[in-house]
Amino acid sequence: MLDPLASALQSSASGLQAQSHRLRVVSENLANTESTGRTPGADPYMRKTISFESVLDETEGGAGVRVNGIGADDKPPRVEFDPDNPAADERGYVKLPNVNVLIEMADMREANRTYEANLQMVKQVRDMLASTIDLLRA
Amino acid sequence: MTAIHLFDLAFRRNEWLGAKQAAIAGNIANANTPGFKAQDVEPFSDILNSTALKLVKTASMHMLPPAAAFQTTGVRDSAAWATAHSGNSVSLDQELVKSGEAQRAFSLNSAVVKSFHRILLSASKG
Repeated sequence: MLDPLASALQSSASGLQAQSHRLRVVSENLANTESTGRTPGADPYMRKTISFESVLDETEGGAGVRVNGIGADDKPPRVEFDPDNPAADERGYVKLPNVNVLIEMADMREANRTYEANLQMVKQVRDMLASTIDLLRA
Repeated sequence: MTAIHLFDLAFRRNEWLGAKQAAIAGNIANANTPGFKAQDVEPFSDILNSTALKLVKTASMHMLPPAAAFQTTGVRDSAAWATAHSGNSVSLDQELVKSGEAQRAFSLNSAVVKSFHRILLSASKG
């Protein structure tokens, strides 16, 4: 079994990694807000979702987190009338991705906050380790 | 000798604070995991008073349960500040407050150990 403080660092590191995966998914969604299909009536980019699961490591003794899976949002795509678009179907409608920028922004902010909380935890543990090491300098 | 007993007490307290910090780090890492219940270690006074039997590792194939010294227990619902719709009961504010408290207690303990160490040193050096 690892030292509890080391396992705290492991948990925080897994949290940092999970939140950065989440941020990556958000940026993929934001980058593809206007990605339509190429052929008439083709399906556009579908918003990606991410979910987490808790993982308990017997050798480390702490609860970490890992990405459970990346899925697709099955909300129907937005439809816009644009007959000149190469992706327009025979009635002139284009399917646009089901990405809502406001929701992505809120998700991004939340990932940011949780990332900061994990970083704060790393700082606290580092301070505790430093105060233990300082005992040697007495 | 009382001073030696004090070192032991401070060591156990710091060990407990480390286990607490590990539990808090796990909670913060799982702040967005659906259905995750916030964890906490049992209070220090219970550790001091307990005389429970502990598992012993007698063969290399034996696996000790995680954090064998300190049992982590689920926080009662009343102790959680908030429960999200997904069933997650981690409140980042609460966890950071707890972690700050643990860190302060840890440095206080280390400072006490340091000053007692100085006392012992000055006694032995004469």
